Amino acid sequence: MKAFYVLCAVLLVFGSVSEAKFDDFEDEEDLVEYDDNDFAEFEDVMEDSVTESPQRVITTEDDEDETTVELEGQDENQEGDFEDADTQGDTESEPYDDEEFEGYEDKPDTSSSKNKDPITIVDVPAHLQNSWESYYLEILMVTGLLAYIMNYIIGKNKNSRLAQAWFNSHRELLESNFTLVGDDGTNKEATSTGKLNQENEHIYNLWCSGRVCCEGMLIQLRFLKRQDLLNVLARMMRPVSDQVQIKVTMNDEDMDTYVFAVGTRKALVRLQKEMQDLSEFCSDKPKSGAKYGLPDSLAILSEMGEVTEGMMDTKMVHFLTHYADKIESVHFSDQFSGPKIMQEEGQPLKLPDTKRTLLFTFNVPGSGNTYPKDMEALLPLMNMVIYSIDKAKKFRLNREGKQKADKNRARVEENFLKLTHVQRQEAAQSRREEKKRAEKERIMNEEDPEKQRRLEEAALRREQKKLEKKQMKMKQIKVKAM
Amino acid sequence: MSSNNMSDPRRPNKVLRYKPPPSECNPALDDPTPDYMNLLGMIFSMCGLMLKLKWCAWVAVYCSFISFANSRSSEDTKQMMSSFM
Repeated sequence: MKAFYVLCAVLLVFGSVSEAKFDDFEDEEDLVEYDDNDFAEFEDVMEDSVTESPQRVITTEDDEDETTVELEGQDENQEGDFEDADTQGDTESEPYDDEEFEGYEDKPDTSSSKNKDPITIVDVPAHLQNSWESYYLEILMVTGLLAYIMNYIIGKNKNSRLAQAWFNSHRELLESNFTLVGDDGTNKEATSTGKLNQENEHIYNLWCSGRVCCEGMLIQLRFLKRQDLLNVLARMMRPVSDQVQIKVTMNDEDMDTYVFAVGTRKALVRLQKEMQDLSEFCSDKPKSGAKYGLPDSLAILSEMGEVTEGMMDTKMVHFLTHYADKIESVHFSDQFSGPKIMQEEGQPLKLPDTKRTLLFTFNVPGSGNTYPKDMEALLPLMNMVIYSIDKAKKFRLNREGKQKADKNRARVEENFLKLTHVQRQEAAQSRREEKKRAEKERIMNEEDPEKQRRLEEAALRREQKKLEKKQMKMKQIKVKAM
Repeated sequence: MSSNNMSDPRRPNKVLRYKPPPSECNPALDDPTPDYMNLLGMIFSMCGLMLKLKWCAWVAVYCSFISFANSRSSEDTKQMMSSFM
């Protein structure tokens, strides 16, 4: 019985030790097989454990990169075993052999051997034991950054080449039509710079001025963000085109009063929602242009039919039909004030300033994969722009049309005034109160008591007059009502 | 003069100088990406510094690169450089 208990203790010790450090001591299964002969069990167990423990490798981990390896000499160990077995055997239970305690002594032996053999922890130098795996995050990130930078340089250059190609192909036409081609607003004199303004890595501007009919023309080349890798990846999902936006500001006397737009259905729907003038004057849905010979892809938004009739002459229809794939939208308006402004306080107190404008948005062919030679394909569209400028000057509404247009504009203004009535009233009220307060302050500040009295009397008289006027008005309204 | 009018549409006396569009609300309207990326970059760099998270710092570097790539040319280069820091 006693032997059995000792065996159990030994087994427990073995189990715990093997879990912690020793991989070799996984022989719990063997220990389950019991004979009635206690000593036989011991022998089996001990022999197994002895044979399996030639080398014990203790690995302690100080940190991720450094490992310490400790080997224990087996001979020393076993001798130690025996020595300790002797001593411990003497103290605990003398009748047992030393051999019985071989395995058991291992545990106290290890601790004692630790004391005896100084452990030399050899630090493996970092650069020697370095494996690239430990820096994989850094390498990945730096590779990503390098890829981003490469893409930035390539994208920037491509955009720049596209812009230059566009300008080279259009330069002649522009210079023959405008005195000033290219201006960034910084020079003292109005001289043509002859080159594009780079606003961004993907947006280029060109200002042309000095022509009949128009004040000036601003051309904006809105390329795709080829310099931003994220954008490039997003574009792989959803192809988008480069765009050329042209905004011609007309002279007041050179354009009649109408609002008109033609373009792809999708673009028109969006413009109708966004643009102040289109939403107010062209309330109908975009109509198909098939009646005038336009392809199905294009639709028309117009203030009145007469404008559409006037605008859709043969040459215009020819332009629109031939280059329908490149046209996104064409928008003529005398009430152009840009997109609707969303203000926090509700409606703005004043109608926004309007300018007579012709707007063109063209898509560059290639839908993202453009080459510099594709820019030449846009030259006929510039011809269309020039033609439109001249046409806008020539086109005049007849009397009916003019009356209708004036009525529309008056209606819009009235609506606006109604909406802002409350706000304007409040603003007027506050202004009146300010005036009164200023008046009172002036009276208070007057040092001369005589003057003060006189001013007060004058203010009183004014108030009385106002009251009388109001009363008169009320009486008149009552009489009228009756 | 009349022949000039017919053939040459140019009018040197009607030249108007270029006025950059007023930038009260346009920068924000046009494209908020560089501003957002700038902000994100600063937040991530602070996080990375305070909480000692390496990935935060890397994300911050990426954000500042993206902000730089999308920025308008009118913006201060000094600000760009400081954001890289």
